[in-house]
Amino acid sequence: MTALSEEVLLVVKKVRQRKQDGTLYLMAERIAWGPEGKDRFTVSHLYADIRCQKISPDGKAKIQLQLVLHTGESTNLHFSNESTALKDRDAAKDLLQQLLPKFKKRANKELEEKNRMLQEDPVLFQLYKDLVVCQVISAEEFWANRLSINNVDHSLSNNKQEVGISAAFLADIRPQTDGCNGLRYNLTSDIIESIFRTYPAVKQKYGENVPHDMTEKEFWTRFFQSHYFHRDRINTGLQDIFSECAKQDEKGLKSMVFQGVKNPMVDLLSLEDKSLDEGYGTNSTGPSTSNTNKTVKENSNSAIIKRFNHHSTMVLAAGSGKKADAPNGQACETSSTDGNSRDSDFFQPPIKKVKIQDVIEYEDLHRENGKKTVALNLKKSDRYSHGPVPLLPQQYTTSQDIVNSVNCIKHEIASYRPCLTQVMSSSTASSAIAALSPGGVLMQALAQQAINQMVPNDVQEELKHLYTAAGELLRHFWSCFPVNTPFLEEKVVKMRSNLERFQMTKLRPFQEKVQRQYLSTNLTGHLEDMFQMAYNKFHAWQTRRMMRKT
Amino acid sequence: MVMASEDEVSLLVIVVDVNPIWWGQQANREPQFTLSKCLDAVMVMGNSHLVMTRTNKLAIIASHCQESHFLYPCKLWKSGDGHGDDNASTSGDGKYELLSVANDFIAEEIKNLMSRTEVKGNQTDTLLAGSLAKALCYIHRVAKELEAGQEIKSRILVVKAAEDCALQYMNFMNVIFAAQKQSILIDACVLDSDSGLLQQACDITGGLYLKIPQKIALAQYLLWVFLPDSDQRSQLVLPPPVHVDYRAACFCHRNLIEIGYVCSVCLSIFCNFSPICTTCETAFKIPLPQVVKSKKKKLKPST
Repeated sequence: MTALSEEVLLVVKKVRQRKQDGTLYLMAERIAWGPEGKDRFTVSHLYADIRCQKISPDGKAKIQLQLVLHTGESTNLHFSNESTALKDRDAAKDLLQQLLPKFKKRANKELEEKNRMLQEDPVLFQLYKDLVVCQVISAEEFWANRLSINNVDHSLSNNKQEVGISAAFLADIRPQTDGCNGLRYNLTSDIIESIFRTYPAVKQKYGENVPHDMTEKEFWTRFFQSHYFHRDRINTGLQDIFSECAKQDEKGLKSMVFQGVKNPMVDLLSLEDKSLDEGYGTNSTGPSTSNTNKTVKENSNSAIIKRFNHHSTMVLAAGSGKKADAPNGQACETSSTDGNSRDSDFFQPPIKKVKIQDVIEYEDLHRENGKKTVALNLKKSDRYSHGPVPLLPQQYTTSQDIVNSVNCIKHEIASYRPCLTQVMSSSTASSAIAALSPGGVLMQALAQQAINQMVPNDVQEELKHLYTAAGELLRHFWSCFPVNTPFLEEKVVKMRSNLERFQMTKLRPFQEKVQRQYLSTNLTGHLEDMFQMAYNKFHAWQTRRMMRKT
Repeated sequence: MVMASEDEVSLLVIVVDVNPIWWGQQANREPQFTLSKCLDAVMVMGNSHLVMTRTNKLAIIASHCQESHFLYPCKLWKSGDGHGDDNASTSGDGKYELLSVANDFIAEEIKNLMSRTEVKGNQTDTLLAGSLAKALCYIHRVAKELEAGQEIKSRILVVKAAEDCALQYMNFMNVIFAAQKQSILIDACVLDSDSGLLQQACDITGGLYLKIPQKIALAQYLLWVFLPDSDQRSQLVLPPPVHVDYRAACFCHRNLIEIGYVCSVCLSIFCNFSPICTTCETAFKIPLPQVVKSKKKKLKPST
């Protein structure tokens, strides 16, 4: 039954399940249904277990809601109240729609992760098949080590990049006529976000007015109606809430112009026409944002251009995170070097240099900084010139021996005549040939053929799988030592039984198969040795433990 | 078998160990196999190689304890040059003239070499490393003198009699690696005691190492095992390669060790751990295993 602390969000009466009348309860973490008159719930599903919900199409007589679980099971609920069935069903559906996504993500993510890992790595997949599917070790143990590594990576990659603002977001709104003299503006949450990020003044207004004074819809209607939005901001009515925004924008624009563009590579100011004297060039005034001294047409053109510039600046500022109306930081940077740049042409202002450096150098391509080295100081370097020829006792030849040998040889060679027809007798030749033929004295080593040519490929593959699986089990086993905690004790005992089980179910049949194929080579000797070593260690540990207890 | 084309030159350099002290003692040990017999066998090998293909080339170096000397080809002799004196050239048995001329020269040169041998007590080792180096230089020179379009394949055959000289180790290894870089095979036919250096040489360069059981059958072994070149060897059943002992020797005792300690600064090998490396005097700290304190057992109260 319900725990006392469970919060019931919705109760729907007259809901049939499996042709039984009953009541449907939607709680904070689960959905449950109990037959009428009874206290217990016969059907109870956690939202985390539900994969999706389905509803019967609108036209059908029966109004049903189906819950599909991750395991594939499904539960059908039939809303049988004559008058309110549809409403009930829709209420239940809406609530579920809100609740399910919250619980869904947690369960799915892990399974998806596991599936992905298995699919990406065929060796892991094979290992999984060998160990878990054949129930040598449980799935939790298998995933114990692996999932933790991957979760760390994922948390790092969760830091999403900030999405920039499209410069055309206002144009994307694309007003459509809706037949009778009205305009329909499609506002998505993305566009709203862009507007707020680009024009913080609008955001401020929104915060002030919605939802106390007007609804969201009203706010946006006013926004689009106001001349603030339209391109000619000539007539700004005083009642317009956005007239303040327009004033703020003007202020912002003025300060931006005052700042100027601080690009050391390009000096925009020098592009202006400067007059030297009367008759030599035009007399120019500084850049101005005021609308005086111009004709109406010039006014509207300059107004549009002003709007464009302002808009682009705001978009860039919002995208790069800097506030356009906080020019203090930048001004300080440049004012210190301003004086220097007027001094001489040879002295490059640091900012310019930094900018040039930025463009021509890539960090990754730098050669690594020369590390401090310490000279090698060898005291006995003649040790290296001796090879691995051990100091064997050398045969000592007396000087007399030397003299005798040399004389003997001299004498022999002095009378040397090559006699090539009697180099050796045929018997010695044939005995030499016999020694060199297969089976002869010198050819014994050839009898051992390479193992990998004698064993068929599928046996080799199976052996590889056995080694991978055995290696995994042995790794679990050996990582338990030294056994410090009771958890490790349990694990050691479990691993030993796992090893035995593996040996019985996998290794023995393989050995028998190999023997049946008359392969006399001992392919599993090493595996057996490894297992035996593990058993010995376990036995030693066990006896020591027994001794400690007694 | 692939026919060797006109453009492929196969050069065989035979390095014969003619250490007079060893051969002099050998004359007393085994009178039926002396240096003369050995030289005969080598000559047979050389002749056979020249006869195999018209474009084959040969060189024979005598490795003495005082010098390494080219027995063939001689400096004064150039093939094609008519020598003039017919007494030496014609041997009267209808042999291919090149062979008879070559044999005569070899005999002549070895006689000269031995006659100018002086007895010196401190030089008793064969200068094998030097002979191999000379062989490599000769091969290099011949390779440079080829005509356009000709390719050369060379190998060195070492006929070794005396024991290894440990002092020549570094030179030997340099020669081996140089040969490996040039794709020159080094084969070894060992008469008496196994030579670790030559085993390494053959293993590294891809040649054959053979210690022959019967010295008098030397010619047969040479022809059977060492006459075919490397391409043909893959088609033949030849003695299997020898297991080479590549163990290093520790710097302190020169024992051959399998597991040892290596200084990470100067890479010198020791058989025992010492906290200071004696070659470069670096101090090392190795964390000793933790001493486990034995827990005091609580005495169970007797009830």
